[in-house]
Amino acid sequence: MTITDSRPAVRQANTPAARPRRAGRSWPLVALLAVLSVLTVSPFVAMFIVALSPAGEPTVPGGWPSRLTLDNMLQVLETSGFLEWTANSAIYSVVSVVIILITASMAGYAFAKKRFPGRDAVLWTFLATMMVPFQATLIPTYVLVSDLGGVDTFWGLIVPTLANSQAVFLMRQFILGLPDELFDAAKVDGASELRIYWTIVVPLTKPILATLGVFVFLWHWNDFLWPLVIGQSDATRTLTVGLTILRTEEMQITLLMASAAITVLPCLLVFFLLQRYLVNSIAMTGLK
Amino acid sequence: MLVLFLIFRIFPSLGAAGMSLTNWNIGGEWEFTGLDNYARMLDDPTFWISLKTTLVYVAVYVPMTVLFSLGTALLLNAVVTMRGLWRGMLFLPYVTSFVLAGVIWRWIYEYNGLINGLLAKLDLGPVMFLERSELVLPALALVSAWKGFGYSMLILLAGLKAIPGSYLEAARVDGASAWQRFRSIVLPLLKPALFFVLVIETISGFQVFDTIYVMTGGGPARASYTLIYAIYDKGFRGFEFGYAAAFGMVLFAIILIVSLIQRRLLGRENT
Repeated sequence: MTITDSRPAVRQANTPAARPRRAGRSWPLVALLAVLSVLTVSPFVAMFIVALSPAGEPTVPGGWPSRLTLDNMLQVLETSGFLEWTANSAIYSVVSVVIILITASMAGYAFAKKRFPGRDAVLWTFLATMMVPFQATLIPTYVLVSDLGGVDTFWGLIVPTLANSQAVFLMRQFILGLPDELFDAAKVDGASELRIYWTIVVPLTKPILATLGVFVFLWHWNDFLWPLVIGQSDATRTLTVGLTILRTEEMQITLLMASAAITVLPCLLVFFLLQRYLVNSIAMTGLK
Repeated sequence: MLVLFLIFRIFPSLGAAGMSLTNWNIGGEWEFTGLDNYARMLDDPTFWISLKTTLVYVAVYVPMTVLFSLGTALLLNAVVTMRGLWRGMLFLPYVTSFVLAGVIWRWIYEYNGLINGLLAKLDLGPVMFLERSELVLPALALVSAWKGFGYSMLILLAGLKAIPGSYLEAARVDGASAWQRFRSIVLPLLKPALFFVLVIETISGFQVFDTIYVMTGGGPARASYTLIYAIYDKGFRGFEFGYAAAFGMVLFAIILIVSLIQRRLLGRENT
């Protein structure tokens, strides 16, 4: 590179977009990235091809199906239990999202803006529970729920997962950043706590609530170990657990892949609608 | 909310410690047996197998997933053409479940599955990934890495974006090669993000369960029998809740140690 070449480049570098625009079209890198991306999604593509292949016809990897059909999916929906599991997964996820959003934002508000004796001690205890992996307390939690008669019930499935310290902590951090004057002014005007929560906290935390809601939905929809031990009949069994049952039955691969494809549809929907949103929020909040 | 936490997080945490000191079983009867469970564990080959399996798994999984996420993050940072599309495709597996990943990949690894089908066209194989004890852990690690790397990739990508372009440009002007720029500018500045990724992936490595349950059931011959699988197996198949709780305490201790090492190293970083 000659000196006359590099000078404008230095000046351009002050604008962040300038450098990548020049380097970012190098085709070997683009090709490599494209290959890796295609490899990454190829298991899903293969799953959908098999799921949509007519039964008895050759399909990937042995050949290509002559046509695509929804027959397998429809047949799976008639398999005993499948619709029930789907409904259970939906209940488990949606109810948890609603309750966690409400409780986490209320608790987050209390931790961020209210003064009460022992607040910091309680907060640190909350945070400490984040250090204990759920699997380590699986057995005592199960015994506790079982003693309370919660095995194979919806409350037994849902209630223990509502104590989500990550959600509370996230809400607290976000509400901490809201100006105190807002809350003081409302109090001077004689607004009740509930009114402050509803007219100030909720509207101002909407973006973070939406993000949290998406994550809680995915966590619950994809959850496995807890539903596995608690849901012992089709009445409370979720889709992830049901899928493992179908897997162990000697099911045709087209039907198994069709079931798998159906379970992933809500995740894909969330992904396609909210991808940009999810991507940004991971970098910002560190939610996992 | 507080009550909920007290009942379902804090109480079980303490309960786990207490329970691991009893011979609690399915009937709910128990008596205090002190450290018997831990003594039994030391003599139990299953425990040592599960510990070793878990450590080997983590040792394979963590470098694999960090390499995937770092490589893709660097590429995404360098490429502009259709970046959003590639990022989306690479991130896609993250929104699905480990169970789904297990179901798909079990088929991919199978005798009639995707990989062996392709190998057969080349007159190679078959390779029974899940039936060979030396291949089963790398095969499982690959599934988890595939499912999870999108998250770490985004964290690292955000870290890369935060590196001022002018640093790299200055180095380029000074004649630094791409590798030199990576080694002496990108890597040091990316260290916090990389470290965060390393720790969370180590922890998630220790927590592997779903894929093992779906794909191998701990086999072949306990070659994929990890700590959490042991908790499940002892607790919900053997119904020895006290003993299973003791396994849970070991898992907790390991994860605590990893987190404390992280604190210590991060603390040093900041001073």
